[in-house]
Formats: sequence, structure tokens, C-alpha cells
Amino acid sequence: MTATDRLVAKLNELADGTALALRVSLASYLDSLRGILEGYAAKANVECIYVTATIPAASIMGALDVLEIKTEHVHFVDCVSHTMLGMVGTKKDDILLVESPTMLENVMLKVEYLTRKIGSQKKIVLFDSLNSLCIHNDVKIISEFLHILVNNMRAKNVTTILLTIEEHGTEDIKSMLNLVCDETLVLDTVTK
Amino acid sequence: MMVQSVITQKRGDRCVSGIDALDSILNGGVPRGNAVLITGSCGTGKTTLSMEFLIHGALMGENGVFFSVTENSEKLLSNMMPYDFFDESLFTTEKLTIVDMQDIYKKLDLEKIEFSFEDIDKLIKALSEIVRKKNAKRMVIDSITSICFHLKTEEKIRTFILKLGASLRDTKCTSLLVSEILPSDARYSTYGVEEAIADGIILMGNLERRGDLLRTLQVVKMRGTSHSRAKYVLDITPLGILMVPLLKGGGG
Repeated sequence: MTATDRLVAKLNELADGTALALRVSLASYLDSLRGILEGYAAKANVECIYVTATIPAASIMGALDVLEIKTEHVHFVDCVSHTMLGMVGTKKDDILLVESPTMLENVMLKVEYLTRKIGSQKKIVLFDSLNSLCIHNDVKIISEFLHILVNNMRAKNVTTILLTIEEHGTEDIKSMLNLVCDETLVLDTVTK
Repeated sequence: MMVQSVITQKRGDRCVSGIDALDSILNGGVPRGNAVLITGSCGTGKTTLSMEFLIHGALMGENGVFFSVTENSEKLLSNMMPYDFFDESLFTTEKLTIVDMQDIYKKLDLEKIEFSFEDIDKLIKALSEIVRKKNAKRMVIDSITSICFHLKTEEKIRTFILKLGASLRDTKCTSLLVSEILPSDARYSTYGVEEAIADGIILMGNLERRGDLLRTLQVVKMRGTSHSRAKYVLDITPLGILMVPLLKGGGG
């Protein structure tokens, strides 16, 4: 079983409203995105709210396009493009911009907005990645942010996937994930 | 009998704002008949919140009147168009009415710098008559600060708000009085009187944190209900105002 297969199998067995800590190696990062967006969400008719704090949403869309992964069911919350002023002009309709990754309340508000806009259809929230959020924010405020967000999503039966890159992980991040997540899945190339 | 009526009203009669987070903060909505000061500096969302309160009310079958001192009705309407819940028919069917205060001033011969006590009585009578005629259960004055500018003295402001409140309470009309303050103001209203007399104060602000500017809302006071006094961050979206708690990051 490949890492992607393991991830898809895990997502299919999760109860709605679960918070999953997904720890992936750099090498399996794109495979993980394929697993979540194509292997799971597209097949199960699940809408995905994709919060990116790592690279601009337009760049992710470009990469997914190259990989032939469809994004019609993906709604982006982009915390990066505003900090790179020139990138805002590349904004597409399905991308909501947050001015800065430090405006965590606004991230919650955009997620809340999309949750309402999508309505009753099944949905998940994907955070890519906690490592990047930690560059801009204190661990205490991220813990508080995740605690509120995950509980809010849990109350709405929306599954949250908190993605971290193993190579960039710290003990603080691991402790935080242990605190807020119900389940953990570690994916690296070795498990293939 | 009167005591029983007050108890019944306190227990359950709420004016649901339709803004989910605000209704949650207020344990179900604004106690019906309250006159609530919506106060804050420019760009904090006071007019949007007030208009949303009226639109949701109208959609729930409660007529509303918006008395506008600062903006004309065309501009107000165009500002509302982007909202998904906006329904133009609410205006054509007169479930919602925008009244230009300048028209009232003109009609009552009140185009002057300072109003007398007689002028105040005339103005309250005119406003109340419109509320009654429209069978309005919700009313907004945007802004009370602009009206108070014509009153000049504390005594007149006090008289105006008390008489207006009493007149509206008779009709069980819940009112939002928009108050403009400067970001540096240490109080909730320009003249200091409005905040003491209002049944509730909802403070809207801009919070700067590490160079980020967040729109905030805090219910400072609300007679007739228990409520959260915490600060919330809000966003004005096509679905209306959404709110989340202000993060403290362990620092308070």
C-alpha cells in the first residue's frame, strides 16, 4: 500500500468532525495533496476548504493543474499572496485572500464564510501548513486559534486536516497537534 | 398586571438581529423595545450592522425604518446590493423604508443650527408617527450624533433620547442609534449623555495588532439580558456580518 493509499483509506474511515494531524515528509507532500483532493475529496463528492499559508493559492492551483488534479471542488483561503503584493493581481474567483498569516481571526472568518457558503454539502478543511503559520505567529496564539477552529468545525461535523512537514516540525508543533487533534497519521516515503 | 407583563417580556421577547454571532452573544437577541447605541469610529461597520438588522427583521416579517442623516437612500441601497440576503422587494413593498432626515427637517422647518425644546418635541412626534404609520418594529437612526449636533446642551440631548425611547417603547419598536466617535475617544458617545441613557451599547472598533487592523465588536451593556462582554473580530461578507472571538495568545 502506498502512502497515498494509506491516507485515502484513513480519510474514508474518519468520522465527520474529526481533527486529523497529518505529518508528511517533504518528499510525500504532493502525493498527500493528491490523496486528499483527488483520492478522497473528488471521489467522495466532498468540498475542500484549502487554507494555504505556505505558497500562494495560484501557485498551488498551477501545480495541481500540472499534476492533472482537478480543483473545481477546492475553495482556497490564501494567507500568502497579500504579503507578496505583486501576487494579488493573479487572484482567481475561488480564492479568498487574508491580508497576513498573522490575522488568524480573519482565517477563521474566511473558513466560516466558506463553510456557510458551501452549505449542507459534505466538506473538509485542509491547513497547509502549520509549520508556515509558526513562522509568523507565536505557538500560544496558534494553539488558541486551532482550539477554537477545530472545535467550531467539530460542532459542524466538518473534518479538519492539519498538515505539517516532518522535516520542519518542532516539539512545540507536535505537542500542539496532540492537544487539538483526535488522530495522527505520519506519512513518509519509507512507508511506501 | 404590569409587573407580570414586564417579567414576560424580560424572559423571552427578543428582537433577533439575524446576525448569528450577535444573537448568540446576546443570548437570543436584543430585548424588544430597547434603544441600543451602536458606537464606533469610521469604517467599523456600524451602518452595515444596522442595515443588516433591519433587513433580517423585514425578512422575518418585522417592518423597519432607517432614518438617514448622513447618506442618501440611493447610496445606502447600492451599498446593500452586494449582500446575498438583500431583497429589493422589501423596499418596494415598504417592509423597509429609508427616510432622509433632511426631508423631515425641511418639512418641520428645522433647517437651523440649534433646536429648541419645542423643536425636539416636533421631531420626536414626526419620527414616532413614521414608525407607527409604517408599523415598524425596528428602527435605526444613522446617526444620533448628527441630530445631537443640533441639540447642543446635555439637557436637550437627554430630553430627546428619553422622550424618543419612551415613544418607541410604547410601540415595542427596537431601535439602533448609531453614534460616531473618534478612535481616540475614551467614552462611547460624542456628548457622553447618549451612552448613559441608552439601554444597550455595542462598541465597534478597529484594533491594531502588530500592524494588522482588525474590525472588532463588543457588547458593553445591554439591559434585560445577560450577555458576553468579550471582544469579537468581525468580517463583512456577502452572507452578512460574521464574527469570531478575538485571540489573546495567552497575553490577555
